[in-house]
Amino acid sequence: MSNGTKPPFFMNRTAFTRARFIIGFLAVPVLLYLVYVISPYAQAFSIAMTDWRGVNAEPGFVGAANFRRLLDDNVFWTAVRHNGLLLVLMPLGTLVIALFFAFLLNAGGPRGVSGVRGARFYRVVFFFPQVLAVAIVAVLFQQVFRPDESGMLNAPLMALGLEPVGFLSDPGVAFWSILGVLIWQAVGFYVVLFSAGMASIPRDLYEAAQIDGATRGRLFFRVTLPLLWDTVQVGWIYLGIAALDVFAIVWVMTAEHGGPDHSTTVMAAEIYRNAFQYFKFGYASAMGVVLFFFTVAFAVVALRLSRRERVEF
Amino acid sequence: MVSRTSARTAEVGLTRGQVRERRRLRLGPLSGLSHVALVVWTVLVVVPIVWTFLASVKSEDEIFGSAWSLPATPRWDNWARAWDQAHVGRYMLNSVVVVSLGTAGTMLFGAMAAYVLARYRFRGNRAVYLLFVSGLAFPVYLALTPLFFVVRNMGNLPLIGPLIGLDSYGGLVLVYIAYSLPFTVFFLSAFFRTLPQAVAEAAFVDGASHSRVFFQIMLPLARPGIVSITIFNVLGQWNQYQIPLVLLSGQAKDKWVLTQGIADISTAAGYDADWAALFAALSMAILPMLIVYTIFQRQIQAGLTAGALK
Amino acid sequence: MADKSISRRELLRSAAVTGLLLPGALAACASPGGGGSRTPAAAATGATSAANPLGIAETSPFEVVIFDGGFGDAYARNIHQPLFAARHPSAQIKHSATKEIAKTLQPRFAGGNPPEFVNNSGDNAMDFGALAQDGQLQDLGALLDAPSWDDPAMKVRDTILPSAVELGTYDGTYCVLNYANTVWGIWYSTKLFGDNGWQVPKTWDEFTALCETIQKSGTCAPFTYAGKHPFYIYETILTLAAKIGGVEVLKNIDNLAPDAWKAEPVAKAAEAFAELGAKYLLRGTEGLDHIQTQTAHNKYQVAMLPCGSWLENEQKDTTPADFGYAMFPLPSFSESDALPYGTLHSRPGEEFFVAARSANPRAGMEYMRAMLSKEGAGKFSELVSTLTIVKGAADGRTLKPGLRSAAGRLKEAGENVTYFRFRQWYKELHDEVAAATGQLMAGRLKVAQWAERVQRKSDEIKNDTSVKKFTRA
Repeated sequence: MSNGTKPPFFMNRTAFTRARFIIGFLAVPVLLYLVYVISPYAQAFSIAMTDWRGVNAEPGFVGAANFRRLLDDNVFWTAVRHNGLLLVLMPLGTLVIALFFAFLLNAGGPRGVSGVRGARFYRVVFFFPQVLAVAIVAVLFQQVFRPDESGMLNAPLMALGLEPVGFLSDPGVAFWSILGVLIWQAVGFYVVLFSAGMASIPRDLYEAAQIDGATRGRLFFRVTLPLLWDTVQVGWIYLGIAALDVFAIVWVMTAEHGGPDHSTTVMAAEIYRNAFQYFKFGYASAMGVVLFFFTVAFAVVALRLSRRERVEF
Repeated sequence: MVSRTSARTAEVGLTRGQVRERRRLRLGPLSGLSHVALVVWTVLVVVPIVWTFLASVKSEDEIFGSAWSLPATPRWDNWARAWDQAHVGRYMLNSVVVVSLGTAGTMLFGAMAAYVLARYRFRGNRAVYLLFVSGLAFPVYLALTPLFFVVRNMGNLPLIGPLIGLDSYGGLVLVYIAYSLPFTVFFLSAFFRTLPQAVAEAAFVDGASHSRVFFQIMLPLARPGIVSITIFNVLGQWNQYQIPLVLLSGQAKDKWVLTQGIADISTAAGYDADWAALFAALSMAILPMLIVYTIFQRQIQAGLTAGALK
Repeated sequence: MADKSISRRELLRSAAVTGLLLPGALAACASPGGGGSRTPAAAATGATSAANPLGIAETSPFEVVIFDGGFGDAYARNIHQPLFAARHPSAQIKHSATKEIAKTLQPRFAGGNPPEFVNNSGDNAMDFGALAQDGQLQDLGALLDAPSWDDPAMKVRDTILPSAVELGTYDGTYCVLNYANTVWGIWYSTKLFGDNGWQVPKTWDEFTALCETIQKSGTCAPFTYAGKHPFYIYETILTLAAKIGGVEVLKNIDNLAPDAWKAEPVAKAAEAFAELGAKYLLRGTEGLDHIQTQTAHNKYQVAMLPCGSWLENEQKDTTPADFGYAMFPLPSFSESDALPYGTLHSRPGEEFFVAARSANPRAGMEYMRAMLSKEGAGKFSELVSTLTIVKGAADGRTLKPGLRSAAGRLKEAGENVTYFRFRQWYKELHDEVAAATGQLMAGRLKVAQWAERVQRKSDEIKNDTSVKKFTRA
């Protein structure tokens, strides 16, 4: 963009039209983004250094006090730990399941080069959870996880004479229930995405591998996965960021909003709690800043690891 | 399993049909298992959704009763109540307007920015890219209050103010676009980077302008990416709740979007909520999305694959 | 060349647009404060008269925002607003209702443009400490001293419960109207108890014996509470603690006194309920919410549960016609209890306030005066099945059985009424007590650990200078 600010006589015509094009294309999106996203975020950043309680006129400047308090906030660090677990497990679970299904749907057929029967149907149905608003998902799964004979999961368990599982009420189990729901919801999109990627893999590659006698597992690891690796990486980065951002499922579904006893809480829930329940907007913003840097750090590391060649004009 | 070489030698001398037969046998048991996996996942996905639809015609204590029971008599009055209370018709129309404009704007501006960032080297490129990507990293609700002031002040601009201020579709659409940009730019620029350059280079040689190359060559090539991100944005904006809550006040109820209508009859704290009507309203919100997706999934799939096949 | 100059002009133009818009938009969001809107426009006033003692401007509109929760907003639209409009026909009321009080209103308070009248209640309410800290709450002293709506010879102050004034006072100023008068107790079905010949227990031994009987009978589970919201059970623990050790126990807790949570009466009460939890709870209680447990109660799957007097209204759609809601006070723990049998947890709740920096605060206060009329309060009680702080307003009204029972118990309790305030003052402490109590009831925490944990949070808040402290005498 800075090209545009150089004196024009440095440029030849092509360089100039190129710069004009770049600026022309970036101007509107960047402007919208600065006004509606960056400026409120900048505000929130500056609030992190105040004791603002949301309704008062002049927030007092407290410097780094909020950040210092954060260091001793056990609940917040519990939340960070949960986010860390999610960061690893949610993308892993989602991608493995999605790849497995996408592979079955595209190369799981009897000849190994076509999808299983009903592939189209499965692709449609698997996507459904993605269509549901998070609030709906949360309400739904409260019903699924109910701890008595009305629960969709516990009803059959109890009919078999087993003890009901406190999917959301046992602090040792609740987190895994949440993870399950997150993966449940995310898989569909990646099945569709990977399916599209796999469909673009030339058939003859499969045929050739098959003539070579490759098993299906080998087909997947030798042909499919390497050719799909780019898409998988993008998916992994996005899921990682989503894992750091988990909020509504936890907030709506769990007891005590992140409980029982903080066993499912995540950073975003703690931020929300401090802002809209305790009206400590300053402190909440400080947490937001920390979350921001965690996410940026993750994105930078992930992008660096997955850096690939760029084609440029 | 048999090693690759031995498998190949074993196949030497067999007819084509025999080879196929062999292969089928080898894949047989796995195929059965994979069908089981697919069916199990289908059940996992479908049951909760079917349950919502069933709950929408149950009575209150049937909903809170046994999970697997069917409604004694379907109570369609839940739907009628939800339609009236949540003004589903009106709000759905509002949602359609806002989401169509929002998604269209997002895709246009997002694709433009992503393309430039992905395919042009210039000073500040990385910075602008990171600026966009960093937007993924901050929780929206922390920005809600400042955002309220930004939109309020935009409303004071001369001429266009009333169109983009508080309680206006325009304001909401612009905000939706802005908040959808990080993900769109992030995902699409990854896509643009992987596109082949030969076609574009040929076009440049033929004297095509930069924007022409973009609109007539690169954009069609990027169709799979565009299609999938469009789905993502439609879903995201359709289900958005926090932003309209702050930007469309109770004084502008005629402009409310569907999620606000639903929240109006639901409640996190669960006081005297009309649960049956809530599930009916949820069903009304889900149904069009499922139908639209099911109708267009052919095109979506086609879009995804056609582009990817180059 | 021509081509070039045009594009340069375009470039300049886009730069100019960026340059012009951006600082404006950025400066614009110099919230909290929102650029100069700090000083509110002079509040609307009118001449005072007998018909208009608070001196409202008869033609100025004002906004009423109702929390759309357990009570809905029909009471405001159909009872209070017509009442107000009958005397002030020209003052337009802009009514709205929301479940998201904090998110919809907080920016307006920060921006200096708040609605006049707010029902700040529910899970998503704005923090009163924060509002009080910044002078957003209108001093309602003039309302207390104004003549009442019904009788010009009587001040508003004398028509309402004194505890309502105490609870609505922040920093020595009465500024929050707690309108509903909630009574807590153990709820049961007179039908279920009658059919089985069960008696209301008066002592703790009778209570546990009754639980044992019910358990053995196999009819249903003896006891449950809203497991997902442990407030429902820590409420009973604290009330029992007050009954054992006297009102001081709760005052110490509210005042964040050292070791307040480790006091013996608190430990005894917690131990008693932890035992109850271990033996007599409905299966799955800890994972059920209030609606689920209350519905189980309506289906005769459980005999008793602790709740406030809003219960009957909340359950009106699932309660069988002959259920016969009734409540009894917590049984006496031992002979040496500091407070007698019949002691109740009861307090005015459901907060309303007038925004001090709104355009027309006087109208908000006048609206409150209408709410506090016999008619306004009486019809409210009938409609939402809840008592109010207006003395005698429910007399002669047709009350549902549950409310009638609660009103009767409250009358019997007389002066022996307890309450605690930390839930409103320090929401963080409330959250910690809830989390720890959930674990206590599930048997994952011992009483001593529970007390230790809660006390630590209490001390933490006490030492946190950023949190405004309150005290009660």
